[in-house]
Parts: sequence; C-alpha cells; structure tokens
Amino acid sequence: MLLQFFEWANNLPFSVAYRESLWYFPVTQAFHLVALAFFAGAILVVDFRLLGAGLNKYPVAKIARDARPWLVGSLIVMTMTGIPQFMANAMRYYDNPVFYFKMEALVVALIFTATLRRRVTRTDEARLGRVWPKAVGLTSLTLWLVVVVGGRAIGFY
Amino acid sequence: MNETVMPWIQWLQDQPWTTSWRESAWGYPAIETGHVVSIILFAGFVVMMDLRLVGLAFKETPFSYVQSRLFPWQMAGMALSSVTGLALMVIDPLRFYTNIFFWMKMAMLVVAGANAMAFHLTTYKSVAAWDREVRTPFRARMAGAASLVLWAAIIVSGRLIAYNWFK
Repeated sequence: MLLQFFEWANNLPFSVAYRESLWYFPVTQAFHLVALAFFAGAILVVDFRLLGAGLNKYPVAKIARDARPWLVGSLIVMTMTGIPQFMANAMRYYDNPVFYFKMEALVVALIFTATLRRRVTRTDEARLGRVWPKAVGLTSLTLWLVVVVGGRAIGFY
Repeated sequence: MNETVMPWIQWLQDQPWTTSWRESAWGYPAIETGHVVSIILFAGFVVMMDLRLVGLAFKETPFSYVQSRLFPWQMAGMALSSVTGLALMVIDPLRFYTNIFFWMKMAMLVVAGANAMAFHLTTYKSVAAWDREVRTPFRARMAGAASLVLWAAIIVSGRLIAYNWFK
C-alpha cells in the first residue's frame, strides 16, 4: 500500500520531469529553506517569549497573534516546496529511514503546535502559572529542532 | 591571484587533520548540520525584525524594542554560523575555492553586512521619531526589504554550493 503510493508518486510525469531537470530540485529545496527561515522566526519569537526571553514586555498572546500569519504562510510555502521534493525522489526515500524519521517528527511537531501550543499561546498568562509556558516553549523548540536536523540528514543517508 | 593562492589552498587541503575531518563519516555532516541550525536561528530573528521594519509584522511594537531584544540572539546565531562555516571552509578549502555559489554567498554577506551597518549609522539614529509608526521612513523600509532579499539570496546560494554547476 505504502509502496504503491510511493511508486505512483515517483512515476508521475511531473516527478519524472523534476528528476530529469538539473536545477528544479536544488532550487525548490533552496526556497524550502528560505521559507524555513520565516517559519523558524515565527516559531522562535513565540517560544523564546514563552521562556521569558526576547519580546517579553508584551503578552504571549499578542506576540503569537502577530507571528501567526507568517507561521501559517511559511508553512504553506514549505508544503508546496516539500511535496515536489518528495515526488521527485519517492522511490529513493522509500528506503531512507531518515525520511520517515523527519516526517514522523514533523507530524508530532505539527500536532503539538496546533493543539497544546496553540491553546497556551491563546490563554491569559495569569491563568497558566509559571510552568506551562516554559514547558510548552521548550518542547516546541526541541520538536522543531529535531525536524530541522532530521530534514538536513535525509541527504546524508 | 589564482597562482599565488592555489598552492596554499592545496596545502591546507592535504593536511592530515583537514583530510581526516573531511573524510570522517560524521565530522563533516555534524558541522554542516550545526551550520544550518545556527543560520536558521540567525535568519529567523533577522526576518522577524525586518518584517517589523518594513511594516508587515508586530505593527504595534516599537521597532527599537524588537531590534534591541532580538539583537543578542541574532548575534549568537551569527557567531555559531561563522564558527561552523569557517570550520567547513578550513577542512575542505578546495571545494569552496572553486565554487561560484560560495563566492556569490560571500559577496552577498559583505553587502548584507554593509546594508545593516549603513542603516544603523544613518536612518536608525532618528528612530525616536518613527519608532511606533507602522509605515517607517522610506529609507528604513528599503533597508529592511534589502536585508530580507539579501538573506534569502544568501540562503539560496549557500544551499546551491552543493551543486558545482560552473566548475
């Protein structure tokens, strides 16, 4: 089932064209990284604020609200630049354990960000106490670091 | 230029210690991963500051506050990426010396640094007059936009060093 999906993605004309081009893949990946800089910025300002660093004169909810359009926008660009990279290399990634590791870490990080982190960055800080914001900020930073390192390491395998 | 520098590049390339780092299974990948992570730390905080400068984010936050609070983390990212970047250059000098994207990246680093310095020494001096404005002065917006474009181009050319298309 998984093999069939990877094979299907790998053999689409679009994927073949991507594989055969000298520069489609490198340029797509380069812009994936540019979008990552925006995404990382939007994550970092909020997580650092949760830990009491950076823009700490303002409420978490305000910093998170300001960062949100950039978080969502850059995530869309990263998805759009990520899918062609997968399609072009689907059969190579099928046998690459680092690829699965990154995707699993990404799913965990996304779920954490869309649930617990979202909840904490929208709640009045007075009701959260001292531990929750710090625990969520640290967990978020760790999860996204694992995703980034995993992503870079796909090419090392 | 080439004839003077090349023997030194080759000498460094042939040193046992650069060779062993270059050829070790984890040495090069570990430094390169550290380089990527520290660039993301740097660029992430620079992008957020630049977005405020061009009036696209943190619109109700004074620019000088965003700048001063994010600056130490930008510098931490810059320091780590410089150390890891220099290490990569030292252990594999021939690879970079002959790569057009490496030189493009270095040239744009100089321009990005000059842009930031020029902004600080001129437009930023009058920040008190426009600190809370969403629409900052034209020169401030230009400096912010130039910074965003330059750092994006630096990331792109940095990634493309892996592809030596114009050897």
